[in-house]
Parts: sequence; structure tokens; C-alpha cells
Amino acid sequence: MNRSANSFKPNISLYGPYLALVLSGWLMLFSIGYNEVGYSLNTFFSTALGKQTIWIGISLFAFIALQFVDWKFWQTIAIPIYGISLALLVGVFIFGTNINGATSWYRIGSVTIQPSEFAKIGTALAVASYLNNYSTDLRKWQSISTLALIILVPMLLILLQPDAGSAIIFTSFLLVMYRAGFSPQFYIISFFGMTMLILGLMYPATNVTLALSLIGVGLLIYYTQPKFYLAVLYIVFIIASYEVFKLYPQYHLYQLLTSIGVLSFLAGIVWNKKKKREVSLVLMAIFLGSLVSGGANWGFNHILKSHQQQRINVWLHPELVQNKDAGYNLEKSKLAIGAGGFSGKGFLQGDMTKGNFVPEQTTDFIFCTVGEEQGFVGTVLIIGLFLYLLVQIVIVAERQRSKFAMYYGYSVAGILFLHLFINIGMTMGLAPIIGVPLPFLSKGGSSLLGFSILLGILVNMDSRRY
Amino acid sequence: MAEVKNEVLTRVYILTFGIVLPMALILMYKTIVIGVVEGEKWRDYGRRSYVQTRPVKAERGNIMAHDGSLLATSVPFFNLYFDPTVATDDEYFDNLDTLAYCFAHYLDKNFTVGGAREYLIDLRDTLENRSRHVLLKRKVSFAEKKKIEQFPLFNLGRYRGGLIATKLSERKRPFGVLARRTIGYVRDQAKDVGLEDSFNKELGGTPGEQVMMLVDKKRDLWIPMDNLAKIEPKQGKDLVTTIDVNIQDITERALYDAMQYHNAEWGTAVVMEVKTGRIKAIANLGRVEGKREWYEVYNYAVGRAIEPGSTFKLASMMAMLEDGYITLEDKVDIEHGKTTYYDQEMVDAGSHSAHLDTITVRKAFEISSNVGLSKLVTAFYGKKEGDKDRNKERKFIERLKQFGLHLPTNIEIKGEAAPVIKEVEDVKAGWSGLTLPWMATGYEVKLTPLQLLAFYNAVANDGVLMKPTLVERTESFGIAIDEYRPTVVKKEIASRKTIEQAHQLLLGVVERGTARALKTKRYKFAGKTGTTQIGYKRFKNRTRVRGYQASFVGYFPAEKPVYSCIVVIYKPEKNGIYGGDVAGPVFRKIADKCYDSLIELHAPMNKGPKPILKSSQLPRNVVGEKKDIAALLGELDMPYYDLANTEMVRTLAASDSLILEQRTLPDNQVPSVVNMGLRDALYVLENRGLKVKTQGVGKVVKQSIKPGTKARGQNILLTLN
Repeated sequence: MNRSANSFKPNISLYGPYLALVLSGWLMLFSIGYNEVGYSLNTFFSTALGKQTIWIGISLFAFIALQFVDWKFWQTIAIPIYGISLALLVGVFIFGTNINGATSWYRIGSVTIQPSEFAKIGTALAVASYLNNYSTDLRKWQSISTLALIILVPMLLILLQPDAGSAIIFTSFLLVMYRAGFSPQFYIISFFGMTMLILGLMYPATNVTLALSLIGVGLLIYYTQPKFYLAVLYIVFIIASYEVFKLYPQYHLYQLLTSIGVLSFLAGIVWNKKKKREVSLVLMAIFLGSLVSGGANWGFNHILKSHQQQRINVWLHPELVQNKDAGYNLEKSKLAIGAGGFSGKGFLQGDMTKGNFVPEQTTDFIFCTVGEEQGFVGTVLIIGLFLYLLVQIVIVAERQRSKFAMYYGYSVAGILFLHLFINIGMTMGLAPIIGVPLPFLSKGGSSLLGFSILLGILVNMDSRRY
Repeated sequence: MAEVKNEVLTRVYILTFGIVLPMALILMYKTIVIGVVEGEKWRDYGRRSYVQTRPVKAERGNIMAHDGSLLATSVPFFNLYFDPTVATDDEYFDNLDTLAYCFAHYLDKNFTVGGAREYLIDLRDTLENRSRHVLLKRKVSFAEKKKIEQFPLFNLGRYRGGLIATKLSERKRPFGVLARRTIGYVRDQAKDVGLEDSFNKELGGTPGEQVMMLVDKKRDLWIPMDNLAKIEPKQGKDLVTTIDVNIQDITERALYDAMQYHNAEWGTAVVMEVKTGRIKAIANLGRVEGKREWYEVYNYAVGRAIEPGSTFKLASMMAMLEDGYITLEDKVDIEHGKTTYYDQEMVDAGSHSAHLDTITVRKAFEISSNVGLSKLVTAFYGKKEGDKDRNKERKFIERLKQFGLHLPTNIEIKGEAAPVIKEVEDVKAGWSGLTLPWMATGYEVKLTPLQLLAFYNAVANDGVLMKPTLVERTESFGIAIDEYRPTVVKKEIASRKTIEQAHQLLLGVVERGTARALKTKRYKFAGKTGTTQIGYKRFKNRTRVRGYQASFVGYFPAEKPVYSCIVVIYKPEKNGIYGGDVAGPVFRKIADKCYDSLIELHAPMNKGPKPILKSSQLPRNVVGEKKDIAALLGELDMPYYDLANTEMVRTLAASDSLILEQRTLPDNQVPSVVNMGLRDALYVLENRGLKVKTQGVGKVVKQSIKPGTKARGQNILLTLN
């Protein structure tokens, strides 16, 4: 069945969006750097755009070159590549350059390279390779912990640089793990935990615990007798509790104690009704939820420094941010997107995205330029292109015969997805502002080359899948 | 098997439709919320808070003296900021070391080079305090800014290097406090005054517009966004005033000395050009409360209407002369300088009157007899028993109006006090039976020093009343825009004869009267002294007085008046009170200085036949451009023979005449420039591609390359002497 190595057909639905996105990124950079002086050939390659042009050339070259590799090669070399990328991550602590407070770069001449971009590729290959093993079974703790180790080691190394943005991208492998059959319970519990954590960052522990126990009361009432009038009674009870909560802030503690009392009483009744499992689940959830949110709240107030608190507040409590500087980036980014309106100001016409109005304009906040110059139409087009690419990657992954290629495809999709969501989300206040580039668009050689290789390998695997 | 397949499908669906698609939709939704739904709000907010079309202040015009000296000018300066986030990493770190060196050596000497390097790295890297507008230096001059812009990194410009310069300007008065109040100032917190205020519109220019972006809310720092269209600000016009810096200087100095000598409360002195009404100097000094220091705190000459006292007697006399009631030789009994009107005592100031009774009108004026003048005026204009109306009193007032005494001068600066000439029977204004006699001596009327001066100026100007002016013209880049011509307010305030008699009277005051101590042999001047009671309360046999105001107003030279001048010194506390003793000397000092500088008044020294010059007296061996030398000789009225047809010439002296000899300079050789002025030498040498360096001043005495050498762009050193 194996076709020969020279008869392959790269999938246009993968490299088409890729090329379109790279081109859009180039045009946005062109516009940002453009002023009435324009570009001159003499200095072009010393401008940001010129350098990016070179990087695009290198990336395209790499993308094409990858197509001449036999896909089995990747399976063989996955673990060594992973090893090399770990070595690079360790080496950066010794040989790396500190820029903007993080030791994340190697400097070679005038070129800086970010090993974390390549660690993503290495980890993706390693994860795919491990999941491809017949002995791997995600229902077994041993497999889970090995896989977790593969993911967590690079993640922690990156976190130590410190580069929280890049590190958080490694959580995208949870998506592959889900596809590989990892227990849904893990995700439910994680989701619950995350929710509690965020609530804990936003509200004091009493509030969260009160809310949890009131929900618990509802559930327990349902378990005693699923009657309509009880539901009505419960709703009245909830509304009353909310009003009391609002009116008498000094009695919050009593209110909490009362609802815990009611909860315990109901728990006793349901326990006697032989629904022990339900009762313990509800109580456990309330207990752990309170613990997590309380802990988060305590940590927020006692461990985090004020600038860290501020960064969280910019995201979760923008109205509390007194210091305008902290919310500055987000505000300016929203202003730029808002200025674009429906159809944008037009190419080269965005005045806000020039002259460094929005910080990190060319890298993390490049989406604002799209928003300002191309408006809603442009942003939807970009998001649409990404969405199309992601769906195509999933389709391509699903049609792979080799599980290795399939899991690799999912890894690529996960990484791109998380980048997309966090980057665009943070420009609009949906996600906290952490430095995560927008794939293919943001300026930066390492990230562009990294994503090109990441996708190039997938295109290569797909074109030689028989 | 099917179950496994189903479960896998569910998982794929959940991933695709449960996570990826919803998230993408959320992102799209959010962009539509920000861009379209809330779009207007954000756009509006942006316009208001971050990007605005803001006015750009135009450069303010200069205020210049008559001769073009700068009285007030705007000097630009810059505040330099640095945006460390602009440069790329490469450019930042490549330039870091040199920049740190420049930083420590030229910008902030508190830094060592290493310290500056650390600081620059911190600026860039320490995320927490990353400011996009680090203040580098305040109040940097243009030259300094040029230099700093040459620093590495900064030389890449604002968008790549991150150096931001905001231009501000500062109003400077090169002559310091000279005429400070008249030139005035425009400030944020104070009331605007003087010419700066009245000509604010002309000086201010037209502000431009530029789209700017807010980079620092606290400091309200906006920087222009260069790529957008803007309206260039139009520089304000320059204002050429009538002020003569030299006269102003002497006026101020003389007044200040008098203020100090007499410890007076305030004083003012104004010098006006007779023919034109142009004010050549205006000084106002007020004492600082509780101190013996005087500053230009208020424009007394314009803003303060005072009872002029004796200086007003000229108007009374002229009224009577105009009506033909008196001649200068008529007699009047001055009752030893003391009389009573109703319940009020009137005494003559000074000691001249005590032993006199019946004297001529002329004498009464010269010794400034209050009694004499008031008796004359009441005799001719007062209401007599049996008079049915008060037309005679009215006639007097009419005469005063004929002299223009009721008119404000409408000088260009704001805050002029209106003159007060009471109308007959105007009880509200305080007209009473006593008004007329007191008015005759300059009380119960109020004039500003400038208004009174305008009147005296009209007398000096043979009856033509000129409007006092401070501004000659506005200019833009040296080209006149608006000319303010001298304005005649009244062609003839009195008949020729009256004016002539007024001249005699005023000259008599200086020759024989109250001001005779001020007389000088060098030139003649005419004027009137005034010693005015202030804060008085009059009783039948005595007058309670708070103090005196000494004044002198007149013109010079008496035969052909060029300048008129008034000096008022209010409440002198030491060394005399009389106008002749306190104000008169100030007038003299000013007049002396002005007289010296009036070249046209002096008999020319070269009057008479043209001297014959010997060859030793003729300028020999002067080398220069022909048209310059010809112009110079023309100016000196020296005949010469032109034998040259070249651009450059040399002068030759032959017996009694001067010859211009031609001087041919070969094109490709180094010519001899000895004996040339530097200007000509530079022109000649640089035209031949040489690079000239000089030492010394004067004419070229030596050149480092021999004449005749081929010119190949060498460096040549000229020694001047």
C-alpha cells in the first residue's frame, strides 16, 4: 500500500489558510510601519517589516522543505526532537539572553530565537508518539502520569523563565488527551475547580460558600422529593436569601451558618432515604469548592503582590482598577478595535495602530490593527480563517491511518486554538493579558517559524498518509 | 466496536462543536460588541481621551523697539522624553553602550556610563515601571536638542529611536524690566496688560491643528502623530513700537534715581515725539509696600487720572488769551499769594509770591501764582451778580474742550482713565461756586499724565493735537503688514497767536520763573512746573494736606520742539516737594540725553567749504568690492576717479584725489587677499574652492598660501589684524 515518496499531494485546505494568514500578518505589519516617508529599499531590511519578510522567506522554505521528508521519519525522530527541545529549554538558563525580564531567548548575532516555540513542536511529537504506543492506556494511572510528565516538564521549564504565556499553551494537550480517551470526569472536575478558582479570585470565600450551599440545598430538596411546589418554595427561598444578602452585609456570616444548617438538615433526610452517594457528592463538592475558592481568595490577598493583583483585576474586575496604567493596554486595544467599527478605516489608514499607540502593536496586539483598519469584517475574516483551518486540521487528523499522525494533528489544532483564543481574547478583555502571539500574524521569527514547522509536518504527514 | 466508534465521534464533536466553534463565535461576538455595538462609545472615548485634534500654538511675534531692538521675544525650548519601547531589541541593544556613554557625558552627569547603561536596560526591561515617556531633560535649547538628536538610537527618529521632543516657548525680555508694564505680559494666572494684551491677536498668530496622541495622562503630555494632515500654525506678527531704547533707558534711570532720592510713592515719565505723537519712552515706577524699591507695577501714565495742579494753568491762560480777555502784560494783584474763596483758603505754592502784589499776567504765570490765575479766571468767567445765566462759566469749559482736554488719548494699551472736566452746574460731578477758581489752578479736574502731555505736545506742535501712539507697525518676517500712521486728533486747538503766547509763557517759566534753576546754556526748553496738593482738606485759614505731587511738563528745544515730556512724582517724602525741585531735574536729565542724540539739532561740524584732503589723509590700499567702496565713498562725500572695470578694486591716493585701481584675480590660482576685509576675502577664496580658517579680527594681513599657487581646495589660514 505504501506509495513511493515522490508522489504526494499537499492539502490545499491546510496550506491555503496558512498562506492567507501569513500574508495578512505581513500586510498588517506593512501598515503599522508605514508612514508618509514610506519604505526605502536601502533600509527596508532593517525595519521590522523587512526582518519579518526575511523570516517569512525562511518559514516558507522550511514549510516546503518539510514536504520532502517521509512521514515515518517523524515517528522515529519524535523522542529525540523532544529531547533536544528540552535541552534547549535548559540551556536557555545558561546561554540565554534576558529580554523584558524573562530569560527566554537565545541570541545569535542579531537574531533572537525562542526555544519555547520549538518545544511546542517537540512536545506535540512526543505526545503523539506516546499515545501511539499500544501499551498506552489513558485509563491507567501509569500512562496518565507518563503523559503528564512529558507535558509538564517543558511547561515548568518555560514557567521558570518566566514565560507564563507560553507555558499556558501546554495545557492545550488536554484536548488531545480527551480525544485519546482521557476520562471526562477529569475535565468536569477541572472545569469545576477552575470555576471555583476564578470565583475565589473575584469574591470573598463566604459569598462563594454561601452560593454553593444554596445550590446544594436545591439539589438536596430535589433528592428528598422532586415536587413542583418545593421548587417554587426553593426559588422563593433563594430570592429571599439574595435580598437579605444584599440588605444586611453585616449578617453574612449568620446567613452562611443558617444555610449550612439547612443544608445539614436536608442532608440528614436524604441520607436516611438511602441516597448516600448523592449526599456525599454534593457535600464533597461544596466542601472542596469552598476550599479552592477560599484558598484562591486568600492567596490573592496575601501572596500576590499588588501589581499581580492588578493584572488579575484588569481581567476580572476592570471597574476596580484604580491605576489606569494597569488597564491601559486593554483600554487602548479596545479603542483601536472600536475605532474600526464595522468595515474599518481602510488599509494604511489606522492612525491608532501606528506610532505605538497600542503597546506591543506588532506582536501580541496585532489583532488591533486588523480591528482598526479592517473593522468587524476583517476580524471575522481572520477568526473565520483560523476556524476553517482548525476544522480542516481535525478532519485531516481524523482521516489519518496512523494514530501517531492523528494525535499529532490534534496537538497542532490544540496549540493553534489556545493561541488564537488567548491572544484575541486578551485584546478584548476576555482573557488575562499574557504574552501569547497570534499564530502566523504576530511579528517574531521564532513563533512564525515554529508554527510553520508545526503545520508543515502535519501537511507532510497528510500528503503521505497511504 | 460500534460503541467505541460512537464514543470517539462524541468526543470529536464535543471538541469541535463544544469547544472550538463556540469559542470562535464568542470571539466574533466580542469583536462585534466592541467594534459595532459599543463602537460609537469607544470612538468617542478615543477622540476624547487619547487621540485628539489639538491646537498647536503659533510662535508669538516679537515686540521691538523703534530701531528693531527686541523688547519681548519668544525663545523656544524643548522638553525631551524617551519612549524606550519603540526601538526594536536589536537596535536598542546595539546602540546601548554608545547611548549610555552619551547619556552619562552629555545628558545627565549624575550618571556614570555603567550606571546609565543599567538605567537604560531597566527602562526597557522592567515591565512594571515601563513608561513610554521617560523624562530625559527639561528646558533644552534648540542647539542642545540638535545635539541630543545625534545620539545613537535617538538619531533613528521618533518612530524607531523613541526620542520625543515637545516644543514650548518662553517669553523673554532682552532689556529686562525696561518699559515692562507698557510692553506688558500675557500670563495664565494674571490679568493681561500692556501691548502684549492689546495686540494679543496680532502677536499670537493663528494656531494650527494637529492630531495628537496622549502618552501621559498625569502630565497631559501629547505627542503629534506625524502621519496625519495638520494645519500649520501661522507665526504671530512682530510689533514695532515707537519706543526708543536709549531714551527709555535714560528716562527710567533718571526717574528711578529721583524716586530713590525723594522716596516717592510713585512716579511716571513719558517722552513724546512732538510732530508725530509717538511715545519714545514711558516709565512707571511704584514703590513696593514698606520697602525702598520701585518697580513697574502699574501704568500710572495711562491709568491714573490726577489733579494736575499748576501745569493746568497753561490751559487757563490760553482760554483767556483765546478769548482776548488779557494780554501778557496786563496786571493782576496776587495779594502776596494768599486769598479766600467763600470759606476756603487759597495760597500760592513756593516763596515767590510772598512779597508781591500787583504783577503782570506773564509774571503771575511764571511764578505760578494760584491767586493770580484764579482771580483772573473768576474775573472773566465767573458768575457776576446780575448775570442771568452761567454762559461765561460754560465758555471757559468750552475753551478747555477746544484744547481737547476732555478727550481720552485712546492709547493702544488698555486701562486708560478718562479725563474729568466738570460740566457747569453738574452738581453730581461736584460743580460748586468754588469749582471755577480751583479749576483755574488745576484742581477739580482730572487728567492722566499722558493726557496732559498730549495737550502740551499740541502746544509745542503749533496747535496740532496728535494722538499719542506706542505702535508704529506690525511686521511679518521683516515685511510691514499694518502701518500705524501718526494721527491728528485736532488740527488747531487754538489760534496761532495764542499758541505763540503760550510758547512765550512756557519759556518764561524756565528763563525766569519756577524752573529757572533748571536752565541750561546748551539749549532752550520750555515747560511748566506743578506742585499739587494731594489729599487736601481746605479751611478758611489753612489747608490740611497729606502730601504733594511734583510735576514738570514741557518740550525741547524751545525754538523747534522735537520732544515733549512729562514727569510726575507722587508724594515725595524727602529732599523737596516742588515741581521745579523734584520733577524738573528728571526732565532735564532726559532732555539732556535726548538733545545729545539729536544729531539734526547740532550745527554740523563740516559746515563751510569742503576741506581739501592731502594724500596722506586719503585711504590707501584698501581692497574690496567696487560697489561697496563706491557706496562708502559716496556716503563720505569723497570724490574719486574710477579707473577699474573689475569687481574688486584697490584704492590709490594720488596727491589730493582718490583713484580706484582695478584688481584682477586669476580664476584658478590663490589670489592675494591681503588688505581685504574678511567678507571679501571669504568670497574670493571660497569661490575658488579654498577652505578658509581665520584668526584675529580686522583686515587680512597675512595668508598662509602664497598668491599664485594653484587653487586645489586647500585649507588656507588668514591672519587678521
